[in-house]
Amino acid sequence: MRFSGHNRYHCSTAPTATATATLVVCICLALAVGLTQGDDSAEVIASGSRKWFCSQTDICRPEDELENGVGYLEEHFESQRDCRLSCGKYGSIWPMPTGVECSLSHERVHFDPWKVRFHVVAPSEATTQFLRETNRLFVSNLLKECTRNCTLASSKQILVRATVSSNSLVLDWRTDESYSMVLRTTETATFVDIQAATVYGARHSFETLSNLVTGSVSNGLLLVSAARISDRPAYPHRGVLLDTSRNFIPLRYLRSTLDAMAASKMNVLHWHVVDTHSFPLEITRVPEMQRYGAYSASQTYSRTDAVNLVKYARLRGIRILIEIDGPSHAGNGWQWGPAAGLGNMSVCLNQSPWRSFCVQPPCGQLNPMNDHMYAVLKEILEDVAEVGAPEETVHMGGDEVYLPCWNNTEEIVAKMRAQGYDRSENSFLRLWSQFHQRNLNAWDDINERMYPSIKEPKPVIIWSSHLTVPKYIETFLPKERFIIQTWVDSADPLNRELLQRGYRLIISTKNAWYLDHGFWGSTSYYNWRTVYASGMPMGNHSSQVLGGEACMWSEFVDHNSLESRIWPRAGAAAERLWSNPKSSALVAQQRFYRYRERLLARGIHADAVIPRWCVLHEGRCL
Amino acid sequence: MMMMDSFWRFWSFSGPLRTRQGLRYLFKMSLAVSLRRALLVLLSGAIFILTVLYWNQGGGKTQAYSEALERPHSHKDGTAFPIPVEKFWTYKCENDRCMRVSYHAGKSAKRVSFITCSMTCGYVNIWPAPTIKSLVSAQTTSFSVEIVQLEMDTPHREVRKQLQLAFDSFLKDLRQIQRLDYATSPAEMGESESSSWSSNNDMVGAATSGQRRSGGLESLLVKISVQKSGDVDFSLDNDESYQLSTITESHRLLVEIKANSFFGARHGLSTLQQLIWFDDEDHLLHTYVNSKVKDAPKFRYRGLMLDTSRHFFSVEAIKRTIMGMGLAKLNRFHWHLTDAQSFPYISRNYPELAEHGAYSESETYTEQDVREVVDFARIHGVQVIPEIDAPAHAGNGWDWGPKRGMGELAVCINQQPWSFYCGEPPCGQLNPKNNHTYLILQRLYEELLQATGPTDLFHLGGDEVNLDCWAQYFNDTDLRGLWCDFMLQAMARLKMANNGVSPKYLAVWSSALTNTKCLPNSQFTVQVWGGSTWQENYDLLDNGYNVIFSHVDAWYLDCGFGSWRSTGEAACSPYRTWQNVYKHRPWERMRLDKKRRKQVLGGEACLWTEQVDENQLDNRLWPRAGALGERLWSDPSDDHDLDIMAPEVFRRISLFRTRLVELGIKAEALFPKYCAQNPGECI
Repeated sequence: MRFSGHNRYHCSTAPTATATATLVVCICLALAVGLTQGDDSAEVIASGSRKWFCSQTDICRPEDELENGVGYLEEHFESQRDCRLSCGKYGSIWPMPTGVECSLSHERVHFDPWKVRFHVVAPSEATTQFLRETNRLFVSNLLKECTRNCTLASSKQILVRATVSSNSLVLDWRTDESYSMVLRTTETATFVDIQAATVYGARHSFETLSNLVTGSVSNGLLLVSAARISDRPAYPHRGVLLDTSRNFIPLRYLRSTLDAMAASKMNVLHWHVVDTHSFPLEITRVPEMQRYGAYSASQTYSRTDAVNLVKYARLRGIRILIEIDGPSHAGNGWQWGPAAGLGNMSVCLNQSPWRSFCVQPPCGQLNPMNDHMYAVLKEILEDVAEVGAPEETVHMGGDEVYLPCWNNTEEIVAKMRAQGYDRSENSFLRLWSQFHQRNLNAWDDINERMYPSIKEPKPVIIWSSHLTVPKYIETFLPKERFIIQTWVDSADPLNRELLQRGYRLIISTKNAWYLDHGFWGSTSYYNWRTVYASGMPMGNHSSQVLGGEACMWSEFVDHNSLESRIWPRAGAAAERLWSNPKSSALVAQQRFYRYRERLLARGIHADAVIPRWCVLHEGRCL
Repeated sequence: MMMMDSFWRFWSFSGPLRTRQGLRYLFKMSLAVSLRRALLVLLSGAIFILTVLYWNQGGGKTQAYSEALERPHSHKDGTAFPIPVEKFWTYKCENDRCMRVSYHAGKSAKRVSFITCSMTCGYVNIWPAPTIKSLVSAQTTSFSVEIVQLEMDTPHREVRKQLQLAFDSFLKDLRQIQRLDYATSPAEMGESESSSWSSNNDMVGAATSGQRRSGGLESLLVKISVQKSGDVDFSLDNDESYQLSTITESHRLLVEIKANSFFGARHGLSTLQQLIWFDDEDHLLHTYVNSKVKDAPKFRYRGLMLDTSRHFFSVEAIKRTIMGMGLAKLNRFHWHLTDAQSFPYISRNYPELAEHGAYSESETYTEQDVREVVDFARIHGVQVIPEIDAPAHAGNGWDWGPKRGMGELAVCINQQPWSFYCGEPPCGQLNPKNNHTYLILQRLYEELLQATGPTDLFHLGGDEVNLDCWAQYFNDTDLRGLWCDFMLQAMARLKMANNGVSPKYLAVWSSALTNTKCLPNSQFTVQVWGGSTWQENYDLLDNGYNVIFSHVDAWYLDCGFGSWRSTGEAACSPYRTWQNVYKHRPWERMRLDKKRRKQVLGGEACLWTEQVDENQLDNRLWPRAGALGERLWSDPSDDHDLDIMAPEVFRRISLFRTRLVELGIKAEALFPKYCAQNPGECI
């Protein structure tokens, strides 16, 4: 029996009117499940009944393949996955914990996931409820690890006590995501004691706990019997960018991306929801955007979809950061201006030959000389503010503005002349920066009205661009208000120079973390080792680095290949951002392969990275 | 209390999945008098739990979090048809191009869907393009799949049987294309303009219930005539040509497919399928009133290879692949069944091979599985060519000889350091001096030939022998001679396995061995996998070998994902785009004369699976294998520069990709959807 990932809460929270009937069904099914709980999972432990051993060099080997001259621990294991639980300092925990303490016992307890009990100690109703929900997610993930029948006749209880000290549900760059966890097993039960500042730290600890579990070759699950782990992320911004405009990505795949991110302790989904190509997001205040911009009525995200997605993400410790790209990368969706008497809000739209008007077809750029455009954009931002959590900010895009587009548009040039601009590059840059400044003012205004309790103005994010070159940036973009997401090559000095000037950065190294590369032009593919090895800026100003994002632009992927393009590679970025390890991918590989298998178990179609034989025969394919 | 709470929550995890079955179960229970009491107990239990749950409901803000989870997910999920309906747009045909125009119901004239515009504007959209003639009428007509009937005119019983199966499969595809088994949302039906913007476009019943119109046709009869050949076994001499014509008279459409063999007739059906499309305005299938296609392939061997040893692939995934091949008129499925990594085939005579060599019990193929694949492939016009690679690329699975008193069947199995003894880990090479090894091979050949049926082409593998491996065991001064002897011995065994007849074409991979002349050119065909500019291409042809091109620099679909090992460079980056696959015409670039050109049997794209498993099989293969299909079937001339494609090809392959997705193959996106909706704009 496989458990549906998406419907699993239906019963327990069903509306009262239908609850009785549903519950009866649930009980019947529960009985049926109890009786017939075989597993039709394709994952089969290949080891048969061989014993496995863990070497001092962190290699798991079956008994008939032990090497002479290599020391092995006395403890033996029933399978490779069992061995991997505690072989090596970090076992199969992904990303690796960063605290001084990480000790894992080699003994395991055999348990039944139905026998896990939670005790939540949290300061408020809201946080308690939140933790209960994460407990359920945790158990449903445990069930996916079962290789055979999950139930076990004689299982000890696993008592999980999670203590959270803060009653805040705020998730932003200042959220304390640390946790510590102590596991011990007595004759009567296994006790898991979790301490975390926030609910988000606590949910990460459940993720770690799930990494200490694997299916048993007989029924039930195995859990490391004792452990001490303390952990906190190296960076507060650990993201995946997902573009849903070039090709539409159905909601279900947004959710699966969130599931995989949760499994990797990533915490920001940068939703590049709109672009020139299409405008799938519903803007309740301006329904024309979607009506004129979506590929089709079914390839859209409604307000409810978006709000639910934000909630779905929060329960998994993930923020959704919506990007409304502009002034470039905007077009389809904006074409109704003239008909509505609002003038041209976008220019160069779908122009051809496209090479004269933009960097990528179809063309389109917002008209910075049209006040109606700003008014509409403000309404869009208002919607965005409403959809997100109160503390959430917005990504304003701001990359790849193609100045010749504006320069070739008579309407714009004429108004510029009237306002005293010349047609120098500097003029256009000023125009461009004013675009961002006006939108920032609008954003502040919206937030003051909508969330008066938040006193501090929120910084916004924009891409590195011509506007962010070190010699201009301070003129155009105040560092208190603009966080720069850089997407330059690893060799580019931009990161260092912006850090020196006091800017906060989010790093998306183009030649390592652009997951779409390798399938077009002269770009090349970055395998997980390259993604893993891509370093973060270090030095005096490194505290201004908020983190990074792996970017999934969707020109050449849609839901058919999305999951395998992102995963497991984004997981390598996840460890870079959570742990920022000094060690290489070589040391991480066994853990990484196990991490990939967990993704598969959770229903993510992650790419294969090595022949299966090599996964089963550790250290033999170097 | 908390314990109780979490306990029940766990149970309810399995709830909604099988609600219907649950109700049925419940119903059955209530029928049984003896179980009524149980039901009562359950009911009261439910009420108790309900009370508990109700009492436990947290108030305030966080309640919202659980609402997000309970909400049934929208119609965009689950079993929705893989292609969305796009009622936003209507299309106008201008200069042989479909132009997208915003459409709002009621305002303008009748909406024209993208596919209907594409099929009636400009080029004939058949992939691969017919080579002799293709004409379609401007006038189209509509029908529903139920009226499609078959009439066969053939004296051959076996052909009749296979044609019927092929036709059944054709109907199944049409049914899928017409979306008869899918629900549609009101938004997609365009029933209510205002509600199409709300999010709760719930599923309604089947698209067609009670409102399907029957279309413009009263009957559609497919008349297939195969007179000449009664062969349903594959050979390179199969005549795959066909003629197709459709004529409509007073609402009766007659499709005539004439072919000299079953294989040609099958291709005719496949072409017919591409002359039919689904229109979302009337929810009917559409086709041309009149059409005429005359078609024959340029190359006889149009192959696709899948390696099932580096990773295992289910029979279902293999069948899906073969279905795609049929649509692209690829005709040879080269099944690289085994390699050094694993031996998934359960041999009747030597089950030890799989017992010792498969990744797990479930990652295996039985003889029955192979037969199932073969039967399925036949009705899709695809021959299955299994390969047991030897003497190299064999290791795991061959290690039990000594235990059975048969001596070492293979040597160097999993030997380290691997780089001394093989091209990639794990190592392993068959023992060329053990008669048991040959006997096992003979039995394997026998079993596989029985499963695939008579053939004039068999693949013996034969590449990348590492002489240093053998040198550890054998003192022969001429180890290459040993390798050659091995291949000749394998050939002899194959002959024995094949009732004393050696198949006319014995395929081996190109290697150091094929650069010598030790393998007789009258019998051996070389699958050339080296670079397309290498000298060996010319030498092999000069030496009189027949060749199948699988150049690594164009037709290796696994390339471009970096090195999977921690050491060493990526073997064959970069990725081959569909344009690379399509534009590769080695026979042109090499300027082959007529004689040498005849030695080129065709080509094959290879998918080695070090970095692929079932999770991404479809998108690694498609639509790129489709590009190969057209290259080998039609071999269109190409005067463009290296990276320029004719806009017409973009349009057709985009539609072909849609057809793949329509049939459930998760083909990769070719470009942003915008470019698909606006043909020509992104070029």
